[in-house]
Amino acid sequence: MLLTGWLFDVYEDPLDGLAVWLLGDDGRRRRLRQAFPVTFYASGPEARLKAVEGFLAKRSPAAQVERTERCDVFAGRDVPVVAVKVPRPADVPGVFRPLERAFPDLSYGDVDLQLSIRYAAASGLFPLARCRMEVDAGGRVLAAEALDSPWDMDRPPMPLRICSLEPDVDPAHADPRWLVVRCGEQEHRLALNAPRAMLVNLRALLLRHDPDLLLAARGDTWLLPWLIDLADQWGVDLPLNRDHHGKIGRRKERWYFSYGQLVYRGEQVLLAGRWHIDRHNAMLWDDYDLEGVLELARVTCLPVQTSARVSPGTGISSVQMLTALRLGVLVPWQKQQAEEPHSALDLFAADQGGLVYQPKIGLHRNVSGLDFVSMYPAIMVNYNISPETVSATPRPGAERVPELNLWIDRSRPGLVPQALLPLLNRRVALKERLAGLPHDSPEYQLNKKRASALKWLLVTCFGYLGYRNARFGRIEAHQAVTAYGREALLCAKEVVEEHGGEVIQMYVDGLWVKDCPADYPSLLDEILARSGLPVGLDGVYRWVAFLPSRVHPRRAAANRYFGVFQDGEVKVRGIEARRRDTAPFISATQLAVLKILARHADPQDGLPEAWQALRQRLDLLRRGRVKLEDLLLAQKMGRDMEEYKARSPVARAVAQLQAAGKTLKPGQRVRYLLTLGHPGVWAWDLPSHPPLASLDIARYEELVLRAAGTVLAPVCGILESQFPAYFRQHASPHEFDRYTSQALPGAAKALPRARGRAPASLPV
Amino acid sequence: MGRTLPSITQVFLQEEDALRRFRRALRRSDQLALDELLDSAQQHLAAAAYAGSALPLEIFLLAMLLEEHKEVARLRDLLEG
Repeated sequence: MLLTGWLFDVYEDPLDGLAVWLLGDDGRRRRLRQAFPVTFYASGPEARLKAVEGFLAKRSPAAQVERTERCDVFAGRDVPVVAVKVPRPADVPGVFRPLERAFPDLSYGDVDLQLSIRYAAASGLFPLARCRMEVDAGGRVLAAEALDSPWDMDRPPMPLRICSLEPDVDPAHADPRWLVVRCGEQEHRLALNAPRAMLVNLRALLLRHDPDLLLAARGDTWLLPWLIDLADQWGVDLPLNRDHHGKIGRRKERWYFSYGQLVYRGEQVLLAGRWHIDRHNAMLWDDYDLEGVLELARVTCLPVQTSARVSPGTGISSVQMLTALRLGVLVPWQKQQAEEPHSALDLFAADQGGLVYQPKIGLHRNVSGLDFVSMYPAIMVNYNISPETVSATPRPGAERVPELNLWIDRSRPGLVPQALLPLLNRRVALKERLAGLPHDSPEYQLNKKRASALKWLLVTCFGYLGYRNARFGRIEAHQAVTAYGREALLCAKEVVEEHGGEVIQMYVDGLWVKDCPADYPSLLDEILARSGLPVGLDGVYRWVAFLPSRVHPRRAAANRYFGVFQDGEVKVRGIEARRRDTAPFISATQLAVLKILARHADPQDGLPEAWQALRQRLDLLRRGRVKLEDLLLAQKMGRDMEEYKARSPVARAVAQLQAAGKTLKPGQRVRYLLTLGHPGVWAWDLPSHPPLASLDIARYEELVLRAAGTVLAPVCGILESQFPAYFRQHASPHEFDRYTSQALPGAAKALPRARGRAPASLPV
Repeated sequence: MGRTLPSITQVFLQEEDALRRFRRALRRSDQLALDELLDSAQQHLAAAAYAGSALPLEIFLLAMLLEEHKEVARLRDLLEG
């Protein structure tokens, strides 16, 4: 029988090898089976490999053992290996573990790979692929082929049946009373105080609609574990799994550090034959949504439920492993690779990141933003940077990395560039497509989410190249990438300056250029020709303000700015509106003020209107017209409570929650309101809300003025710290003329020469 | 991913800290002048990082000199009209 449809999921089946779910063109969801032997490898000295053969013949007769060669990417050549083929994926641990215990001195490859990646490498199929399968009467897949590619720009949408489950309130906040179930157009509210009836109804809904995807709010961390226990207690057979033979996978909660931040990942509940995604526990859901998750699954070949939950780092590792499998390169089990010795002087030159300049503080007009397109991935692809192509000793024909004692072999394509090239091409193609679409069209939104998911993969790729424990990571490769990045940025600066432009700021892969020459294409072409990397024009700012540090008002902050493009679009970085700990009302006020300024070619012309808007917003606050939710401050719990020494507001909020019997984990976000009296905060996840009259309006007012000051102070020509007092003193914005025409203490250096004005002397 | 060497910002703060006793012994007006010199060096952190020097204070002193020279040139322009 020939079947066509979409590949829905693949996972281990202890009896047959693989369970393969096909979402058929006829609308049927079929669980098929497929035999799937897998192979892993052992390499080492000849005598030891012989001993391995003897050991396996005695201990694991079901394994097929063969001598062959395989490419060891770190050795840079093919090495003799013992290939061990076991009949089913489930057999790997039973054969490998005793082997590894008996031969700990050997290197192993292709041992612990995700099954979906092995399957993709062997079959050419990928998650959500359109495919054709030849199936026998017993449901066994005899042959399968993909009918499309993950890189196709247009593909018909997969006809998914989605069922969303959501409690009426956040269970961390109060006990939910209803479970809201939406299947297609229908909405059902199931009362939670009658557990058996709720379970029976939910069972009926699941059987009737047979959803492909359960999109649950707090599904991982609360709902599904709770439902599973409850169904057990009441003896109701709740068909969360579609696969009757499959088990529900439960993974424990965990914490880890990422870029210096503690990250908390809740428990995970994975279903068989059906997908479960918890949008609160999914990675970057706010950024790329379900479409981004599906895009990631297609290109990384990780199962959908996994790609929704793992970091982009795991995604990029998968792409690399898949490339390695396809090329016949060993994927090391435990990498045994030490850094090559370097002199201290080499280290001074090499142990650097991207160039981060201090911008010229103040308001600048007619500034062009130039960006290298996906700079680090483009460098890896363009200069063939991969762990096996970089060397600390010169080789014939190898190219020297700028300013470093490292050489790159460009004679054979590296593994990392080969893995990256299709991702990079696809992202560039998506960006080109986005440029031609109206922002409010559904097609734009769809492609934007895809592009965003790819962006995260590409961004992480660079970090993984320098990560000691990454399978294909090597610090010298990482250093080479940043060296080419610095070189490219300096090349761009030189080209711009030769054309008469003034560089206001440079930040790793971007430049802000004042009075850039009008002939952009030739400028960009020249940068491409000299640096070897493509550059794009991010946009031309009507005006942009680079802000000083709050602590040192005379020192510039590298990434704190806001500006308005010529089409009126606003861009902000590093200010309150971008921070997740800012109360929504405060962010909205800051953006409202900024958008008023943005309507004017000269932002000073917008001051009277901005002044008025700020007054109105403060008025709303004072009259209690702002929703409590919009006044919530949020902060991540960094450490265990006991470790907090200073009683910060967040520590006090945590203490309140603990007193109310709620447990919090480091890395979780704590939301709170500022209130009068002791303890001065009210944790949002307490069972009740504070009375309106207890809100500390004066402190909120300070926060609003501080955020408004961030955008208004540079336009008024004063320091940010002076703004609240200044605003209160000056009822009418017309007084600005007087104030901006004379130097205020400290203001001169806040706006040095930016407006072509000689700075007034600083009073000392 | 971690780095072996401190970042240029950390190096700058260390150098600033090393001047703490010197600064304390200065008169208030001189302290303010020193702070301005340090602020002017801070503007060139990226170039100082790129220089990859084993003696970063030399680079910071040169950065201060550079800013002072710019100021002198600007004042000269003002005077000469």
